[in-house]
Amino acid sequence: MSEFKALSEAVIKGDIQAAVAETQTAIDAGAKVQHILDKGLITAMDEVGEKFSTGQMFVPQMLRSAKTMQECMKLIKPLFQEGELIAKGKVVIGTVRQDLHDIGKNLVAMMMEGAGFTITDLGVDVSPEKFTEKAKEVGADIVAMSALLSTTMPAMGKTIEALQDAGIRDNVKVMVGGAPVTENFAREIKADSYAPDAGSAVLAAKKLLGIS
Amino acid sequence: MERLDIPTFQPRLRVLNREQALAIHGAALEILEKTGFKMEHPRVLEMLADSGCEVSDGEWLRMPPRLVEQALESAPKQLSLYDQKGAKSMDLSGENSFYGTGSDATFTQDLETGERRRTVLKDVNNFATLVDGLENIDFAMSMANPEDAPIENIYVYVFAEMVKNTNKPIVFIADSGRDIAKIYEIACIVAGGKKELQKKPFILNYSEAISPLRFPENVMEKLIFCAQKQIPLCLPSGSNAGGGAPVTLAGAMALGIAENLVGLVVHQLAGKGSPFLFGPNVSALDMKSSVVCYGCPEWSLTQAALADMRDEIYGIPIWAFAGASDSKVLDAQAGAEAMFSIITALLSRANLIHDVGFLEYGSTSSLEMITMANELIAMSRFYLKGIPVNEGTLALEAIERVGRGGPGSIFLMDDHTYDHFMEALFLPKLIDRSRYDAWEKDGALNLYNRCNKEAKRILAEHQMDPKPDAVIKEIEQILKQG
Repeated sequence: MSEFKALSEAVIKGDIQAAVAETQTAIDAGAKVQHILDKGLITAMDEVGEKFSTGQMFVPQMLRSAKTMQECMKLIKPLFQEGELIAKGKVVIGTVRQDLHDIGKNLVAMMMEGAGFTITDLGVDVSPEKFTEKAKEVGADIVAMSALLSTTMPAMGKTIEALQDAGIRDNVKVMVGGAPVTENFAREIKADSYAPDAGSAVLAAKKLLGIS
Repeated sequence: MERLDIPTFQPRLRVLNREQALAIHGAALEILEKTGFKMEHPRVLEMLADSGCEVSDGEWLRMPPRLVEQALESAPKQLSLYDQKGAKSMDLSGENSFYGTGSDATFTQDLETGERRRTVLKDVNNFATLVDGLENIDFAMSMANPEDAPIENIYVYVFAEMVKNTNKPIVFIADSGRDIAKIYEIACIVAGGKKELQKKPFILNYSEAISPLRFPENVMEKLIFCAQKQIPLCLPSGSNAGGGAPVTLAGAMALGIAENLVGLVVHQLAGKGSPFLFGPNVSALDMKSSVVCYGCPEWSLTQAALADMRDEIYGIPIWAFAGASDSKVLDAQAGAEAMFSIITALLSRANLIHDVGFLEYGSTSSLEMITMANELIAMSRFYLKGIPVNEGTLALEAIERVGRGGPGSIFLMDDHTYDHFMEALFLPKLIDRSRYDAWEKDGALNLYNRCNKEAKRILAEHQMDPKPDAVIKEIEQILKQG
C-alpha cells in the first residue's frame, strides 16, 4: 500500500482530481498497471468497504470513492493488454421483469464495481431471456437480480429456470435481493445467495466466487 | 362578573410561511414544464399530448402550468370515507385527522412467540380485527404481504380478508388494472352496488409513481380505473430525500409534489371531479443503511409542510404517515418515534394518516405497536383540544369553596371535580402510573408486555358486526374464480 499511499488516500477521501493525478503520476513513473489497480485502487476500496460496513462512512461518501476509482480506471484500462486485466468476476445485474425500482440495484452495482468486479448492468424490467442471453454473451460468473415488489418476485424463479433451460445454470452463481426477498425465498427458488443490502452483496459475491 | 364566550385555541404547528409554500409549488411547476416526466401508459400519454403537453423522446412529456391549475380547480375539496355499513366516518376535509395502519409488511412480530416471521393471511385477519376494536384507529390497511396467498391475486385475497374482519374504511393496494377490477367487485358487493359504493365509498386506493418522474403503465391503469369509477385514490411517489429525490427537503418536496400533480392532472382528465387525496411521501434515506426511514424527523417535517401548502395553495385533503418506527422491536426508540410523528401529524392537521404500527422501516408489522399507538393517539387528541377557558373551567366557585372550606376540604372531594374530571383530564389505559408496589404485584410489566396483553385481549374478545352470509359467499365465489 505504501507505494500508492497517496492514491489510496485520495480514493478513500473521494478526491477525484487528486486520485486521477496520482494515477497519472504512477503511470508516468512506470508503475505496473496491475499494481496500480490492486495495490492502489482495490486496496483503497477494500478499506472503503470496511469503513462503510463499520459505520464510519456514509453511503454518498462510499459512492464518491467508487466514482473516484472509476475515473482512475479510465486512465489505466487502455494500458492493459487484451485479456490481461484480471477482474474479480463478471456480474450481470438488473431488476427483474416488470420491476422498475432500481435504487437498490444501482447501489449494489456501484459497490461491486468498486470491489473489482466487472459489471454489466441491464437496467430495469429485465426479462429472464435477456438475463440469460447476456450471461451467456459475457460469460458471467454471477447473475444478480433485484425486486422491490412481491408481485415481481416470481420472475426471479423464472429467470433461474431460464438459465437452467439455456444450460448455463451450473456456470453461474445467482444472487437475489430487494425489500420483500428473504433467505427462505432465495432457498426456495434455488438461488445461490441472498443479500439484504449492498455491503453484504459484495461480501456474498466474493464468497460465492471463493475470493477474499 | 359577566364573561364573553372565549374561543379555544387548538395547538397548531406551522413549518412553512406563504413565501416558502409558493416557492416549492413554483419549483414543482417548473419541474413539469422544463424537465418533464416519463409516461409509460400509451393512452394516457396520448391524452396528455391532446390536452397540451409537449411530447419529446417518445415517452417524455412536458406539462404547462395551466393543466395543473385546471386539475386543482376540478378536484373536490371535500372527501369523505364511509364505514362498511354506510355511515360517514372519515370527513377528510379541512383540519380533520384520521389514523390507520399500513400495507404490505413482509414480516410481522408474532404475538405469541415475539419472533419476527413472514406474514400470512391470518395476520391480515388479526390486524383488521384489532383495527376494528381500537377506538382511535380509523381505517385499515393490510399490514401484511402474506406468503400463503396466491401471488397473482395477492391483493384480492388481502382485501377480502380485511372486509371479512373489519367494518372500518379500507385503504387498499392493487397491482394493476386487472386485480383492482376484482377488488372493486368485492367492494360493490359489500356496499350493495356500484351506485352505493360511489355515493358512500369505504375504499381508497394507494398507488405509487416512481421517483424521479416515472409513471409506469400498471400504475396509470389503476389511476384511470379509480378516476372513472370515482373510487378515492392517492398517488404518493417515494420522493425520499437522498433516494428517489434530492437530499434537501425542499427539492424532495418539489419533486414529490410535481409527481403528484401529474397524477392529479391525469386523474381529473380521466374523471373530472373524482376524489383525489393529495401528497407525496417525503421521508429520508438513511445515509448508512440506505433504508427509507419511518421514524425520522424529516418525514414529520415534510408532511407538516405539506399541510401548510394545502392551506396556502391546494385546498385538497392530504395523505400522511405516523406511528411507525425504524426500530426492530417495540422499545424506547419505537415509542419515541411513534409519538413524535403521531403528535406532529395531528398538530399540523394532516388528514389521512397511515403506517401506524410499523417497525423496522415498514418491513415488520406489530399488533403491539398499533395497540400502543392507539393510546398515543388518545394522548395527542387530548392535547389538541387545548385549554377551554370559561366560567366552568376557571372554577372560581370551587376555589372559593375549597379554599375557604377549612380543614378536610379538598378538591378531590368537591362536586366540581366529580363533575368534570373525565373530560378535564387524560385518563390513560396502557400508560402506567400505578404506585411501585402495585406495579410490581401486577407482574412488573413494561409497556410492550401490556400492549401484548391488550392486543391478545382484543383479538379474543372483540366482536365485529359480521357481514351477511350472502355477502361472504359472493366474495368466496370471486376468490374461487382466481
